Amino acid sequence: MAKAAALRKPKKKVNPLDKDGITYIDYKDTALLRKFISDRGKIRARRVTGVTSQQQRQIARAVKNAREMALLPYTATAR
Amino acid sequence: MRHYEIMVILDPSLEERTVAPSLDTYLNVIRTAGGSVEKLDVWGRRRLAFEIDKKAEGIYAVIDLQATPAAVAELDRQLRLNESVLRTKVIRPETR
Repeated sequence: MAKAAALRKPKKKVNPLDKDGITYIDYKDTALLRKFISDRGKIRARRVTGVTSQQQRQIARAVKNAREMALLPYTATAR
Repeated sequence: MRHYEIMVILDPSLEERTVAPSLDTYLNVIRTAGGSVEKLDVWGRRRLAFEIDKKAEGIYAVIDLQATPAAVAELDRQLRLNESVLRTKVIRPETR
């Protein structure tokens, strides 16, 4: 039983940026960036978002720039 | 000459229609230094994700320009001296 779970094939994620043809991640595009942060305001992990490591770095930088300009929260007190 | 993008958050108590002309006077620094202003986009009043100086709102403006690094540094310095400027950010969009 446990063996079967360990061998479970992970579902291949589609890259959400490649799908929409986005090449430049703009810190002003909060609608896009919100897809990559949790409802708590934390940046989602790459294993969750399914983007490449280069894109993940660009996302992280864009989110941090957006936070500095109060476009996105540092923390959100959900619950 | 480099392409820069500058975002400014201004005090929400300012009149929104006075924002563009007053920012434009600051941009003379760029023009006299030989740069060119490509776009001045005033977003208008927008809710801040968190309070800055006890203010929940701010007037956002985004400026696109071509200028030398020194001219941009001087513009940023002058903007920061203004009390009604809450925050500024200078970005070079081409550098990843």
